[in-house]
Amino acid sequence: MSGTPAFAEMVAATNYSFLRGASPAEEMVAAAVAAGHAGIGIADRNTVAGVVRAWSALRDARARLAGEGLPDIDFRLATGTRLVFVDGTPDIVAYPGSRHGWGRLTRLLTIGNRRAVKGDCILCLDDLLGHLDDLLLIVMPGGEGLRLGEEGARLHPKWQGPMAASFFQSPTPSPWRKPGPMSLATIDGVRVEEPPSGASSKPSRAAADMGSGLRRGDDCRRALVLLKEAAPDRVWLGLAMPYAGRDRRWIAKLARLAAGLDVPILATNDALYASHEQRRLHDVVSCIRLGIRLDEAGTRIAANAERHLKPVAEMARLFADYPEALAESIRLLERIDFDLEQLSYEYPHEPVPDGWTPQAWLEKLVADGIGWRYGAAPAQAVFDLVETELKLVRKARYAYYFLTVHDVVRFAREQGILCQGRGSAANSVICYVLGITSVDPVANKLLFSRFISEDRNEPPDIDVDFEHERREEVMQYIYRRYGRHRAGIAATVIHYRPRSAVREVAKVLGLSEDVAARLTSTIWGSYASKMEERRFHETGFDPGNVEIGRLNMLVGELLTFPRHLSQHVGGFVLTEDRLDETVPIHNAAMDDRTFIEWDKDDIDALGLMKVDVLALGMLTCIRKAFALIATHIGRQYTLANIPPDQPDVYDMLCLGDSIGVFQVESRAQINMLPRLRPRELYDLVIQVAIVRPGPIQGGMVHPYLRRRSRKEAVVIPSPAPPHDPGELVDVLGKTLGVPLFQEQAMKLAIVAANFTDSEANQLRRAMATFRNVGTMPRFESKMIEGMAARGYPRDFAERCFEQIKGFGSYGFPESHAQSFALLVYVSSYIKCRYPAVFACALLNSQPMGFYAPAQIVRDAREHGVEVRAIDVNHSEWDNGLEALPHPSPSGERDKLALRIGFRQIDSFREAWAKAIVVARAAGRFGAIEEIARRAALPRRAIRLLADADAFRSIGLDRRGALWEARRTPVGELPLFAAARARELGEEPDAMLPAMPLSEHVAADYQLTRLSLKGHPMQFLRDVFRREGVLSCREVAEGRNGRKVKVAGVVLVRQRPGEGKAIFITLEDETGITNVLLWARIFEVQRREVMASRLMVVEGEIQKSEEGVVHLMGVRVHDRTAELGRLSEDHRTEIELSRSDAFQHPQLPRDHEPRGSRHPRNVRVLPKSRDFH
Amino acid sequence: MREIRAGRAPASLGAGFPPDAPFALVEKQKGAMRLAAVNRAALELGLAPGLNLADARARLPDLGVADHDRRADALLLEWIADGCDRYTPMVALDPPDGLILDISGCAHLFGGEAGLRADLVERLQRLGLQVASALGDTPDAAHALARHAGDRLEALPVEALQLDQEESVALRRAGLKRIGDLQERPSQILSARFGEEAADRLARVAGGRDIRITPRRAEPALLLERRFAEPIGRTEAALAAIADLAAEAVHRMEESQRGGRRFEAQLFRTDGLVRSLRVETGLPVRDVPLIMRLFDERLEALADPVDPGFGFDLVRLSVPGFEPLAPLQLPLEGGALAEGELAQLLDRLSTRLGRGRVRRLAAQDSHIPEQASLLFPAIETPPAQDWPGPEPGEPPLRPTHLFDPPQPIEVIAGVPDGPPQRFRWRRHLHEVTLAEGPERIAPLWWRRADNGGLARDYYRVEDRHGRRFWLFRHGLYGRETTGPLWYIHGLFA
Repeated sequence: MSGTPAFAEMVAATNYSFLRGASPAEEMVAAAVAAGHAGIGIADRNTVAGVVRAWSALRDARARLAGEGLPDIDFRLATGTRLVFVDGTPDIVAYPGSRHGWGRLTRLLTIGNRRAVKGDCILCLDDLLGHLDDLLLIVMPGGEGLRLGEEGARLHPKWQGPMAASFFQSPTPSPWRKPGPMSLATIDGVRVEEPPSGASSKPSRAAADMGSGLRRGDDCRRALVLLKEAAPDRVWLGLAMPYAGRDRRWIAKLARLAAGLDVPILATNDALYASHEQRRLHDVVSCIRLGIRLDEAGTRIAANAERHLKPVAEMARLFADYPEALAESIRLLERIDFDLEQLSYEYPHEPVPDGWTPQAWLEKLVADGIGWRYGAAPAQAVFDLVETELKLVRKARYAYYFLTVHDVVRFAREQGILCQGRGSAANSVICYVLGITSVDPVANKLLFSRFISEDRNEPPDIDVDFEHERREEVMQYIYRRYGRHRAGIAATVIHYRPRSAVREVAKVLGLSEDVAARLTSTIWGSYASKMEERRFHETGFDPGNVEIGRLNMLVGELLTFPRHLSQHVGGFVLTEDRLDETVPIHNAAMDDRTFIEWDKDDIDALGLMKVDVLALGMLTCIRKAFALIATHIGRQYTLANIPPDQPDVYDMLCLGDSIGVFQVESRAQINMLPRLRPRELYDLVIQVAIVRPGPIQGGMVHPYLRRRSRKEAVVIPSPAPPHDPGELVDVLGKTLGVPLFQEQAMKLAIVAANFTDSEANQLRRAMATFRNVGTMPRFESKMIEGMAARGYPRDFAERCFEQIKGFGSYGFPESHAQSFALLVYVSSYIKCRYPAVFACALLNSQPMGFYAPAQIVRDAREHGVEVRAIDVNHSEWDNGLEALPHPSPSGERDKLALRIGFRQIDSFREAWAKAIVVARAAGRFGAIEEIARRAALPRRAIRLLADADAFRSIGLDRRGALWEARRTPVGELPLFAAARARELGEEPDAMLPAMPLSEHVAADYQLTRLSLKGHPMQFLRDVFRREGVLSCREVAEGRNGRKVKVAGVVLVRQRPGEGKAIFITLEDETGITNVLLWARIFEVQRREVMASRLMVVEGEIQKSEEGVVHLMGVRVHDRTAELGRLSEDHRTEIELSRSDAFQHPQLPRDHEPRGSRHPRNVRVLPKSRDFH
Repeated sequence: MREIRAGRAPASLGAGFPPDAPFALVEKQKGAMRLAAVNRAALELGLAPGLNLADARARLPDLGVADHDRRADALLLEWIADGCDRYTPMVALDPPDGLILDISGCAHLFGGEAGLRADLVERLQRLGLQVASALGDTPDAAHALARHAGDRLEALPVEALQLDQEESVALRRAGLKRIGDLQERPSQILSARFGEEAADRLARVAGGRDIRITPRRAEPALLLERRFAEPIGRTEAALAAIADLAAEAVHRMEESQRGGRRFEAQLFRTDGLVRSLRVETGLPVRDVPLIMRLFDERLEALADPVDPGFGFDLVRLSVPGFEPLAPLQLPLEGGALAEGELAQLLDRLSTRLGRGRVRRLAAQDSHIPEQASLLFPAIETPPAQDWPGPEPGEPPLRPTHLFDPPQPIEVIAGVPDGPPQRFRWRRHLHEVTLAEGPERIAPLWWRRADNGGLARDYYRVEDRHGRRFWLFRHGLYGRETTGPLWYIHGLFA
């Protein structure tokens, strides 16, 4: 490259300059390398959220080159930020010259972030002047800046009030702005003209422009002067050629200014995207940011496509008059002695008492734990395992990590909060003896995977699940213990998804809301990784249409762009030193929360420690169940002392009787249970993991089942000689030669396809996130060819890779499945032995799980539990248990009845329930007005109780109670109320007609979504009987192949996997029927399937040999109108299950709880539109 | 008393759409597109207003959809109400889709109430409307009967009382489902539980308690009329009467220092037809000759002349609203009226030639030079967009004259984006001595089928004789084309 000067673009934004940058960081780096730059400076607006991506892209590229034996690239990455100010100071791009400088920069950003609402940042020049150490600065004249109070710089409520007042009243909008150390006039000898102030009563627009223009020039000079003085030799003036016509004149002027101040000038293109082709996308994101359409954007979007990374020769041509400006970019780059790698990491020291080393303290805790878990004489195997693990921990120096997790778990245990760890490190015996997990790895032989990767230099992974209702206590403890300056929640990058991308791009293109809604409605779920052309066809739009084609193109480009940062559900990053010197901290939308601006991929890439504090509904349920058992039965249970391997528990599961049980309660899981026939904990581990996209797409399910039922020999594939024919026995032995878990897929890549650890690591990262799906094809050929080369059957290799791809959309590692399996067993145990307790705890932990309260109650009754209705004289807020007077001798299971609590009444309040219980302590209620008076209930509460038929114990049915309740006075002093009550008593009898049972049932469904009085179908039975419709029980008992009709209310509709079949569950008064509808039939009967709440299905009974019965649907009839027969007045509202795919679309969980809506808030009609 | 409900005829919903196919009007409610109205076919397939559009589409992918236009509905209803003026002056709107007519003492012309109802329904049906109508003793009774398609009040559902949803449900829960169920019982049991208002509603619907309807026509700010004992047969005479009324109106407006911008003259024929003339001005006025000149011009411009028929028996002049207008101070030197005179000229020209024929230029926000200004009717208030001012110290960036279209020239310039060194325009060679640029303006890609187009590189140049031109290269050398063409787009002063 002789003749061409060296140059590096030092002002490059990525798409983490939200809705301003139009290229991902990785692309910017790649484009800079391709354009011959010596390096690139990544600087997004008031953030460093995107720099880790640029950094790891470069690192991966280098690793790849090294792996292929190619020479390294001579390229340097500078990671910094573009500071945008609210006080009129021009934008300043800042790069840390050292690790210390990085800490100053992140602290500066933290200060700005903490002043502002989530996502915004408020900075003034004085803030920068206070954090100048080791920062290299490029002043960028001509930026638009930020205005306080507007988008990008909105004050946090905490700062509003007097602070805000000083912001807004100040003539120059900066409270922090103090007079500079020198007056401007003394510097250049020229007095800067004051902007016109108040002299002319009505300044023209031109005058106003002139004023701001002068101020801008003034601000630029001022910033340069102040910075030059405070940080001599670390300030540059950035010059760009935007092709605005006057470029050269403008640059000459600025160069003169810089020369006068002795500030070097630096050539840049102030790049916002990698190539000029991204102009279109840049225009679109600009419009999204401004909330306007392209055709009305006018001059508010860029005039041309010039702000891309330009080749060095092009930059040299543009800046031919200022060769030194190009050279300065290299000089700046060479001044930077900081790499993100230097963010060396130290775990918090807190949990270790004085005088101990962390390793010694861990060893002591482990020694204590062995006694606690295994008693006086543990097996030798335990000691051996502990020793191996401790050696690994010592070697990798992870003692602090285990101690930190132990500390959090110890706190939870002290507070009685149930918790359980999972993740790769959670299989260790150390975690078991420290109480982090409850699965004994020795007894269960969970020695399958290495719990820490020795060669991958990355922290171990332990996620801890806590009760969902009490996790906040744990999070606040972490903040207390480590301090907000050292503990922060990781960010989650919210990306554009097909839905949001289509909606926003359509708006910008001026397409109607209807078109956008139609297109988004076609996207199943919301995690389709791309808009497929087929989707367009389905909606009747022609992708060849120019408008639609344009939309398609732009959506494709916008997809996977980050939209904003949000807080991760529970991933904490903890440091020994100040966290804000490693990464900037933001205010979260929630009060009392702060989060850092890197997400878990970034944290992984940098090797920071993260403790996942997650919420799990089932833990709440189990804790409540344990408490109920302790109270009512007097037995103390913990996760670890539930008797293992009870045959009756497994018998129950083998029947598919698992409603409410953790993880295995979905339709697909229930169908799998009788086929898999679990008999021990490891079977449950497999059960949990097998009904997942990975194994299903990889075609692993059927081979596994055939081998398990001994219909097929267990053959573990072998490589050709000279390789060890048994090399996969270790990997696949436990799953009968069929890879089911993520770890197995990884290990296959290493053992069978010869991946290096680093490649396997990249593969794991690509698997972990669909965003990197683009990198998968590279691994595909490597893996398949690698395995084929070693003599494995090609189709086996292909299936293995298919499975890895499946993991991409929903990875399920064995280490998680193991922890989950224990909860499956514990919840099954409770359900089997204490059905009333189980139903009660489940109802009180709602919302969680798959089923609506009606189905939980029904299931309890089918298991012989007496369920009692809501009553003002018996119920409490929570559902409760009542002792039966004459317990049968058969055991605890028949001792208790379930009393429905007030919480099941729609929109009833907990405070009202508490008031009722308190008032009831003084004696039973005898009349409605007495309740209203003694519990001081508002009218609405009384009406809800009456409508829920909760006054039976005082001799009033729903109708009578409602009639009475409407005239019951409230909020009166007792004396007056009594007087008035007498007055009220003189009313003539209204002679109300009696309410028929069917109307009661309809009203029950309306108020509480369940009825103990009957099932809606029983009132329609005669109607359907005449039509020859069978009941669900009759279908279950019918012979295989029989053609029948069945009717029922719709509980759930699901469309698993690739959507080839629709599962519909119907319920009537005799039981349920599972209907299977092929997609082809569904498409013809779409309206009926989508709209029906009560359905008649014609089809053929299909019985599998395990006894699973399906109805293969042929025709569907919408008979929802029949529900009107129950009551002409009250619509019988059938609540769909929480897992209904149409009403509650499932988002990818990423091991996080779904943020789904409370089912009680879901009104009659389906709200979702995920399916077409 | 009469209640009409207007339904929409499918034919009006969209050309080419099969009239029997399911169709819905949609609008955004609570952040989602929902059905606002559905036709019969859609209703029969189970769609109902309030349903989410996406859900509806999920069930019926072929559902026809158009945006719900509440304004158009309201206008339609007003228009129908206008037509109902023929039956009674007491017409009240019952939005969004109902009208209430007080026909007390009006029915004899139509052979009684039933005859009037039949006449009205037939007329409306001829307009393609579906009509539900009912006769009732009170407005509430008529409303209830029409909306719940009944003929006996006691058989109507309790919803006809238009109580809160919660109260209607409570009545039903009590087993009291019909108006008749309530009538049978002592009224105090109703008022004790549902308040006096409920009892009052019941009385208004079923008990004969009457309240007056509020007629629909809003009171204009000023309304003057003259009745003639004998119908006058000549339009000129009617206009003369209007001129008298205008003089009186101007007098009143002077007192309050106000003026009017809109004036409406109504000529009522004895046979019941009404002819309205409406004029408007750009600025508020109170000048009789001006107003009358506008009326004259309006009259002349009418496609069908006003036919007095059997003569007019009533003329009316109304001023819908006033705007402040200070009294005129005539300037001594006589020049300050120019603004007012210009406005008057615009008014007269626009009225005579048509509003679209007299236009003015306004600034538009666009990078594309020839699109940065727009012509629009002079009588309209110009958009707020200001002409961009030049930056201080900057030479003018845009020329005073633009060629439309730009004229091709031959240019010698450096590649890829060097300024022109000399160019030939109209066979004349210009030597460029000074040039600045390029100012690069990329095409509006979203208006082009290929999402592309050629960018322009503009230069401001000066030739040896000091003449200044605005030239551009069409297409970027290398990136977009290999032989960019050049044009001259404008001249600087």
